[in-house]
Amino acid sequence: MDEQAGNRTTNSGISRRSFIKSCSVAAAALGLSEAMIPKLVEAAETAKRPTVIWLHFQECTGCTESLLRGSHPDLGRLILDIISLDYHETVMVPSGHQAEKSLHDSVAKNTGKFILVVEGAIPTADNGNFCKISGRTAMDILAEVGPKAAAIIAIGTCASFGGIQAAAPNPTGAKGVQDLISGVPIVNIPGCPPNPVTFLGTVLHYLTFKRLPNCDNMGRPLFAYGRRIHDHCERRAHFDEGRFVEEFGDFGHRNGYCLYKVGCKGPETFSNCPSTRFNDVDVWPVSVGHGCVGCTEPNFWDSMTPFYERLPQVSIPGTGIVTDADSAGKKILGVAAAAVGVHAAVGIGKSVLKGKKEE
Amino acid sequence: MNYEIKNVWSVLLRLFHWALVLSIVVLVVTGLYINTPWTNTTLEGSVSFPMACMRYFHFLAGYLFTAAVLVRLFLYFFGNRQERIWDILPVTPRNIKSLTTTLAYYCYISDKHDSRLGHNVLAGMVYIVTIVAAVFQLISGFYMLFPETGVWQTLGNALFTSQQQGRFVHHLLMWYFILFAFSHVYMVIWNDVKSSEGLISSIFTGKKFKQKNV
Repeated sequence: MDEQAGNRTTNSGISRRSFIKSCSVAAAALGLSEAMIPKLVEAAETAKRPTVIWLHFQECTGCTESLLRGSHPDLGRLILDIISLDYHETVMVPSGHQAEKSLHDSVAKNTGKFILVVEGAIPTADNGNFCKISGRTAMDILAEVGPKAAAIIAIGTCASFGGIQAAAPNPTGAKGVQDLISGVPIVNIPGCPPNPVTFLGTVLHYLTFKRLPNCDNMGRPLFAYGRRIHDHCERRAHFDEGRFVEEFGDFGHRNGYCLYKVGCKGPETFSNCPSTRFNDVDVWPVSVGHGCVGCTEPNFWDSMTPFYERLPQVSIPGTGIVTDADSAGKKILGVAAAAVGVHAAVGIGKSVLKGKKEE
Repeated sequence: MNYEIKNVWSVLLRLFHWALVLSIVVLVVTGLYINTPWTNTTLEGSVSFPMACMRYFHFLAGYLFTAAVLVRLFLYFFGNRQERIWDILPVTPRNIKSLTTTLAYYCYISDKHDSRLGHNVLAGMVYIVTIVAAVFQLISGFYMLFPETGVWQTLGNALFTSQQQGRFVHHLLMWYFILFAFSHVYMVIWNDVKSSEGLISSIFTGKKFKQKNV
């Protein structure tokens, strides 16, 4: 565990070439110049591999699944060369008491030095009874481990903002890490799932500069979440030139036109998906013909639905009517026109009657 | 009857009014296109940029709209007597009376017309609501136009929480402006018919006709 990353690369038989390739990809994702790559490599080689503890709470393990499919670096190189992953329920060998022991040992040994990665939301309703691991609630575990970390990476939209579990009416009171922990630097890497390159970039940034990357006001690293998807989309030309998919499977869809009219949320979502893409086969939702659903944004399950419409529905209080804004607007305009008609008719009628009186 | 001509609206206020009219018409038409674009270039490679053009005109009109709103806010404090906010806020006895008289007059309950140089208080209140709506409209608009620029990002996130909510508010407020324009035009025509002050022409000439010493 104390072995340095550089030694591992020579000993493990993983080629230096592919090690540097991983660092270069991370540097590109971070937006660092070419000149910084050697420093990044140096940091990954010479720094003692940082201890990482990975906690799973209320989630689907999709973020880990996405990481397993990453190739810059692949999971093996990530956990053997770059970080020292001491506790991760999905990929670790021990189970039961042995697993619990490795968590407690690692926390005790590395207090104030380890990076905590949290995947999944933390339910807080009913004292957090909705999510328990080895008899303890997620709230308890986070409250114990969280403050002892040097930094916390909340991976995925659930750990960042609550995610789908926090969708209205949020029965389990699910919350993100930043709502429960203070005093420890927290970086959010939202997405459903987020890109493994963004995760690696954040870790390498921490290794190289000894601090977390610059973040926006939602705690998301600017290198990955600083730009709107729409402004980097490969289908943007079709948008500007007015060529749209009207429905899935139509002529426009088969020809790769813009997905704006079938509800793509690219114009309101911040992420590096169009440039970084996923899974080493250069795909992301829009490239395979499905609009963005805005999964990197807080409360996307509430604010970005309906996923196949541009705007949320309007619910008129007290009536139970839920409709889209335009049809509501047209109806209200119709009512206003009718009211104007009645008002004018009353006026005319009154003046006719009054006119007769005066005669 | 004896009438005299009174100067009511300054040039700046009339310019504000017509800039707002022009910008709202352009903004609503282009805004409806931007929200629900009808496909009209199916021939790839033809020189046609409907969405880009609509957006361009939407942004131009947006700047005109912003300028108009800023001018009106200025006139609320530094305009002539009719234009200042104190003339239409229902805080003085005179203004509260104007509000009730006007409501009764509009509902055909009484024939008593509150003859004032400037706005009646009911109209004035609706205009204040409209200007407030306009401020939110332009903030949400700039929030979407400059999503990565500090000031608009901070302000927009504080007011609307996210781009999508900002867009939603922007769209709903568009319907407010459509409704406002519709009822505004009706009430102006109705008032012009009911009391012969030359109300409609006053927004072109700045002058109203008032009965002398009645």
